[in-house]
Amino acid sequence: MIEGLLHDQAGLLNFVIFFVLGAVLLLVILGFVTYAILAERKVMGFMQMRYGPNQVGGPWGLLQTVADVLKLLLKEDTIPKLADKPLFILAPVIAFAPSFMVIATIPFTDKLQFADIGVGLLYYIAVSGLTTIGVVMAGWSSNNKFALLGGMRAAAQMISYEIPLVMSVLGVVLLTGSLNLNEIVSAQENVWYILLQPIGFIVFFIASVAELNRIPFDLPEAENELIAGYFVEYSGFRWAFFMLSEYVYMFAMASLTTVLFLGGWLPLFSFLDFIPGAVWFALKFSLVIFILLWFRSTFPRIKADQLMEFGWKVLLPVALANIFLTAIIKSLF
Amino acid sequence: MTFSGELLAFLCLALVAVIGGVLLLNLTKVVHMVVALVFTFISLAGIYVLLSAEFVAVVQVLIYSGAITIIMLFGIMLTRHNDTSEPKGGTLKKIFLFLGVLGFGVAVYIGIYNLDFNPQATTLHENNTEQIGMALYSKYIIPFELTSVLLLVALIGAIILAKNDNKKEADKE
Repeated sequence: MIEGLLHDQAGLLNFVIFFVLGAVLLLVILGFVTYAILAERKVMGFMQMRYGPNQVGGPWGLLQTVADVLKLLLKEDTIPKLADKPLFILAPVIAFAPSFMVIATIPFTDKLQFADIGVGLLYYIAVSGLTTIGVVMAGWSSNNKFALLGGMRAAAQMISYEIPLVMSVLGVVLLTGSLNLNEIVSAQENVWYILLQPIGFIVFFIASVAELNRIPFDLPEAENELIAGYFVEYSGFRWAFFMLSEYVYMFAMASLTTVLFLGGWLPLFSFLDFIPGAVWFALKFSLVIFILLWFRSTFPRIKADQLMEFGWKVLLPVALANIFLTAIIKSLF
Repeated sequence: MTFSGELLAFLCLALVAVIGGVLLLNLTKVVHMVVALVFTFISLAGIYVLLSAEFVAVVQVLIYSGAITIIMLFGIMLTRHNDTSEPKGGTLKKIFLFLGVLGFGVAVYIGIYNLDFNPQATTLHENNTEQIGMALYSKYIIPFELTSVLLLVALIGAIILAKNDNKKEADKE
């Protein structure tokens, strides 16, 4: 449908259709982010033997995040006097836009996908790299040493962990023979890639946690060394944009993990295929999200030098060995 | 010529690319210049997408967005914090520059206007990632391998240079 629209006459109707589609997706994502934050606080509360939010919106605190977001939107928007004003304003936009763009290519079911791009996997990795520019811009334009340190760390970390991330998915690409996410899912009809590519999956998962800047790899925003890292000078809705892009990336990365290694919308056993694909996708997706939250409440933060050494001296060689192994196995069988 | 979405997209992308290039030359702070460059590169990637060269477009974003962050970091680290570049040159120089730009523009316009491509293959966009892979690993395998060896040599050279520096500093201390 989208393909047809693209070659159509440019008119107001087409514009409205595209606009509404995008707006609906944005609302879905915002709904997810609202409840992902609540889930994160609830799960962490459960793991640390406390209640978590339980006042606003009933005993489960269902409206807690809504109230928090309202507070953020009403907050005074401060821009430091010595900040680089245009870049300071542009940085949250550049950090957020790619996080929303990558979701377009993810196939949620065999029908529900916004853009079926031939090089979907590479597109995801390439576009998500653009966020680093926003982060470095925010760090530099704040004119604050902690912000700059956070931005520098973010750049170093995201670039060094992007390489193991790409290398670990190459095994999947080799086995499928395509970069298209739809074809990757349909190649997992019989057996999921988590079983064929266990090493690749572990490397991918560690590198994805690092790309998401979550504990144990949240050095760019380490609050006890850098106060808050690159967004220390931000407040109100600009700060909310950075937070939003972080959680949208969580959504996107969990979806990508599901698609690449857990078989996307395919059922666990073939006799269970009366359950719709969207439900399967949601179940697997929630499992990945839960593991990410679990990581956050159980691991301590690692040091900056350990982070770099781990990325270059452990993950990268392991990922390269995995490619080698996969290539040998593929040519043998 | 119909006014399709493709034309509209091309106009927007081309405009952003040109504006980014002009801003790159006219801005004074190094980080601002790099941001202008980012906009130019990304709109070029968009133009590749319009030409159905998805793989090239994605690689453009992947390589240049990564490299741009590094350029930005070097720009921050190697220049003074408030350093700005000052515009130089007198009026005469500016007039000559303008004439040169005008001449170049006219030459390119005439060149493009009279250019006549032979009929191109119309199937280039089908499976182009696969086709690039096939061509690289069969017809162009030797240049491809030579390039990778060259890159490897550059990598090892960089490591050796960095190591030597460390050793000298350690000896001094």
